[in-house]
Amino acid sequence: MVGRRLRAAIPVLVLVGLGGLIATQNGMFLQPGNLVRVASAASIPLVLALGATFVILLGSIDLSVEGVMAVGSVALSLLVRNDGSTADWGLVAVVPVLLAGATIGALNGLLHVGFRIPSFMVTLGTWFAGVGLATVLLGGGTVRVTDPSIRGLALDRWLGFPLIVWVALLALFVAWVIQTYTRTGRYIYAIGGGEDLAALSGVPVARVKVATFALAGTFYALGGVMAAAQLGQGNAVIGEGRLFTTITAVVVGGSALSGGEGGVLNTFVGVLVVAVLANGLVLLGVSPYWQQTVQGAMIVVAVALSVERKRARIVK
Amino acid sequence: MTVHWNRVVRRDVLRGGAALAITGFGIRRSYAAERPTVVNSIRSLTNPYHATWNQGGQAFAKSVGADYVTLVTEGDSEKGIADIRAILIKTGGNMVLNVDPNDAPDARPIVEACAKAGAFVVTQWNKPADLNPWDHDPNHVAHISFDGLRYGEETANLLVKAIGGTGGIVALGGILSNTPAIERKAGLEKALAANPNVKLLDFQVADWQSTKAYDTTRAWITRFGDQVKGIWAANDDMGVGALEALRAEGLAGKVPITGIDGIKTAVEAVRAGEFAGTVSWDPYWQGSMGLSIAYHAKMGMIDAAKEPKLHRAFYGTGIVVSKDNAEAFYQSNIVAPPKVDFNDLWSRVSGPLRA
Repeated sequence: MVGRRLRAAIPVLVLVGLGGLIATQNGMFLQPGNLVRVASAASIPLVLALGATFVILLGSIDLSVEGVMAVGSVALSLLVRNDGSTADWGLVAVVPVLLAGATIGALNGLLHVGFRIPSFMVTLGTWFAGVGLATVLLGGGTVRVTDPSIRGLALDRWLGFPLIVWVALLALFVAWVIQTYTRTGRYIYAIGGGEDLAALSGVPVARVKVATFALAGTFYALGGVMAAAQLGQGNAVIGEGRLFTTITAVVVGGSALSGGEGGVLNTFVGVLVVAVLANGLVLLGVSPYWQQTVQGAMIVVAVALSVERKRARIVK
Repeated sequence: MTVHWNRVVRRDVLRGGAALAITGFGIRRSYAAERPTVVNSIRSLTNPYHATWNQGGQAFAKSVGADYVTLVTEGDSEKGIADIRAILIKTGGNMVLNVDPNDAPDARPIVEACAKAGAFVVTQWNKPADLNPWDHDPNHVAHISFDGLRYGEETANLLVKAIGGTGGIVALGGILSNTPAIERKAGLEKALAANPNVKLLDFQVADWQSTKAYDTTRAWITRFGDQVKGIWAANDDMGVGALEALRAEGLAGKVPITGIDGIKTAVEAVRAGEFAGTVSWDPYWQGSMGLSIAYHAKMGMIDAAKEPKLHRAFYGTGIVVSKDNAEAFYQSNIVAPPKVDFNDLWSRVSGPLRA
């Protein structure tokens, strides 16, 4: 339907077009201060979407974003200096939190592979289990983060950008290296492109899948850390509404939900499209409900453009 | 002979067992007649508001020595109603219920099921306009709500005062279809109409969530810059999101914010001078007093049918927290659990529900 090269360029064209359109309506969009704000608004969605990208490249789906974020933010808040417990681990607390995220992700992968349960169902389960666990940890309350090193991630700046933006860019670099230069990265594409073929060629499908889900969980937990830093608190509902933006960003970036096509750089563009749109609609004074409507429409259009319908024989 | 002996023994054993079972049942029944189970049905325990509500319920149940049960709807009306029906059957109707229905239409089947089973119920926040407690005497003891219009206006007035009565403000609203969101916004508009020097630069919906409020506030800073003198939020969570967005721009404490609900973070922000004010509904009172009113009716200490209508359907009294009383409120409601006199049923009745 649409040429391969053109299809790859569409997300970038959408981003440039959208930015141009908003800039003509409101010149303040391009002010450095606002670009910093867009970057900071995009940093958490980017980290979450990077994790989801790997799972989607496999041809699976991961709905556990909000659950892992909840556990991550609550665990972090309880380990650093806060008003609910006596712990004071500082930045070191990020390590066990990321490990917890990886563990939940690995559990997703093990259940998916071991019991042959669709990833959709497994991760739906861990989503709710994660929110439940975070609720139990805090008894339904909210804990305030007073640790200056964690709050500094959102409040301190380097070269004009909040540290959280640099964390997101570092995560992007790491994800890109994994995707491009590691064997696991190549295997993910192989499995997404055709699992049977990959298995016959000796790709350890089960192991790669578990590793991918664990990787995704790590990214979501990092997202939870960043959300706790940004809002200065940890609670069970801190991730609410994030799943939708995450999947939108991955798909709008041009990664195919059927797997094997796309990548972390696509996701980077997709996240920017979503963040620019959200920022632009407020600048233009448009209601956020329209924002939701536009995002929903974008998913459908993006999926429509990314599928070679001539080759798809069966649509479920 | 052996057969006969066996029969006797078996018959005796059976009879004895039955007698035991009956006695056991009887004991439980008579015990239960003195001590109805007390039940709170709320949305979930994941938010601080309902968690505090639940603590109030626990404290009340402990004070009367009754069994306490918490039901959560998790935002699912079907589940909420089904769970209430199940506990009505389990207790044989010997219970009192304090319910925050998931949605207004749910209140009717809940009240009807309680009336049928002989249980006593207090509803809060949500009910259809044409469902009145006196329609189900004496079982639907009361309905309690809070006046969103009044407190939306009061917090807006605190904000107007904080910015010196002149300048631009922005406002964060709750989910547009929610009654409290509509009422609180109407209160804001009323305050603005009375203060023509204060201009509402923009009104955005952030779905009650701090994350959405955070991103919206940052975009506002681009759009309006230092024209924004104050931020009104329809709840504290959104207000806290706005506060953190201001902090990231070095503006915390310079642009006053108001919220509604009285959550801990917001009260601390009032103490720190970053919030101009909030309103506490005192969920601890809601969780305990709703049960206490129903319990008084159940135990015959009040006769719901003879109470005035003002005691049957009323607005409770919110506590406006501003810099004047923030420290005292913090000490008496947050550092220590709030003190509620469970026998003082009507002191927070502030007026009849608006139609």
